[in-house]
Amino acid sequence: MPPAVPDRAGRALRRTALATFVLGLIVWSWVGTEMNLLHLVDSGPRIADFLDRMLPPDLTWQTTEPDGTGVRRPFPPPLRIAAAVVGVTLQIALLGTALGTLAALGLGLLGAENLTPHWVHHPVKIAMALLRSIPVILLALLFVAALGLGPLPGVLAIAIHSIGMLGKLFAEECETADPGVWEAMDSAGSNWFQKVRYAVWPQVAPQIFSLTLFRLDMNLRESAVLGLVGVAGLGLAIENYRAVFDYPSVATLVIITMLVVLVVDQISVHIRRLLK
Amino acid sequence: MIRIEYLEVQYGRNPPVLSIDALTIKAGERVAVIGPSGAGKSTLLRTIKGYVRPAQGKVEVMGVNFMTARRRDRRRINRRIGLVYQQFHLVRRLTVLQNVLCGRLGVTSRWRSCLGMFSAEDRRIAWSAICEVGLRDQVHQRSDSLSGGEQQRVAVARVVAQQPALILADEPVSSVDPAWAEDLLELIAEVQRHHQATLVMSLHQPDLARRFAERIIGLRNGRVVFDDKPAKVTEANLKELYRGDASLPFNGAAGRSRPGRTRTA
Repeated sequence: MPPAVPDRAGRALRRTALATFVLGLIVWSWVGTEMNLLHLVDSGPRIADFLDRMLPPDLTWQTTEPDGTGVRRPFPPPLRIAAAVVGVTLQIALLGTALGTLAALGLGLLGAENLTPHWVHHPVKIAMALLRSIPVILLALLFVAALGLGPLPGVLAIAIHSIGMLGKLFAEECETADPGVWEAMDSAGSNWFQKVRYAVWPQVAPQIFSLTLFRLDMNLRESAVLGLVGVAGLGLAIENYRAVFDYPSVATLVIITMLVVLVVDQISVHIRRLLK
Repeated sequence: MIRIEYLEVQYGRNPPVLSIDALTIKAGERVAVIGPSGAGKSTLLRTIKGYVRPAQGKVEVMGVNFMTARRRDRRRINRRIGLVYQQFHLVRRLTVLQNVLCGRLGVTSRWRSCLGMFSAEDRRIAWSAICEVGLRDQVHQRSDSLSGGEQQRVAVARVVAQQPALILADEPVSSVDPAWAEDLLELIAEVQRHHQATLVMSLHQPDLARRFAERIIGLRNGRVVFDDKPAKVTEANLKELYRGDASLPFNGAAGRSRPGRTRTA
């Protein structure tokens, strides 16, 4: 009989230790968040009541009360508000992504280990990590405080967070580029910019477009949420109706937000498929 | 064209990969370097190109000594040395024409070329290079849609577009279908004659070296074992050159120290 394959030393032990650690983390979180299934069941009636107040969504268009008395509603109907602000939500996401992508392209190249010396890519990598360590909503909070209400704080918050996120992904993408082509370009006498343009860019461009579209997707969601801290757009409209307990209008706007996100999501899926 | 004196190339504390007392290659010569795996063929070519910095000795190419030359002079010489790789190293998603135009990057305006704008003259040079390697009909095809042999032709055209005085070919036919190897070497030799360039190529098969080179240098363990006209290289020379081949401990170690050497296309 041939001899048995020797066991990999310490494998079983490492596995058990890892499983225990992960399980421990889950228990810790369960206890810490006072997770209680019974409490969820108890809250059934409250949840039902809440949903009941939201339904049916307010789909009216006229600005007067529906009882025919001609009295003006205290707030415009949600569909009119949505029509007015859905564009802003989209614009914040688009401009924020565009500015963020532009800066991320530059930083991504400088942060790629194979393109720059270590005294360039190390600091750039750290800077990008710092930028993406601040959640978008926190950035927006700070910019609203500094610049006031409106769409601009949202654009800046999304742009800055995107720089950190996309820059890191772009840099990692550049690091996968074939070094042989780089050398072949060097051999023809190219300078750094030409090498980046011809040896790196053609190899990474499809992936960079795809990552950017994916980020646009995420930024649209962010843009819709930023209303909670005072950035113009769908989020702010939702927050305003919620503040006066107009839940049918909140429901309408939530549905519209979902639709917009879904449509952009599908468009981006299709474009990314075309790029492959 | 090339003058090497007391050259030693060493990676870390290992024994020298290359140790050549004297080697001179005159302008217009067509030289093949042969030898077992790990003999230092690629290292020799890369040293002549200036990509490997010798531990000591003198490497002079076109009158410029790499060991003491200023950066500017090294760059100027770099442009005039074309390199054909075993793995082609084409830009996969670009067309044949775009790849060949890359050979012009060293002499074009850097900002215009970054925008993809090449002068009419550059485009004429690229087109004639493409015609020269026989890829007239594939000029606008993506390079990764071509066969291995055709891709190497594109790489040769890229080097032609560079208008080099010295062409280095590092095992140019090791990754292509053996049936196309002779055609390719014929093409490379033709290009060398036509442009009055100097050609140094490393080859695996001694019989190809005999047919396409005017001078054969046998390299073993980093040392020149023989250096003569093909007719004067005897069977005994070759037997001595390939004795034991890759089973030697030194050869194995040198082969491992350079990843990618054993990779196939």
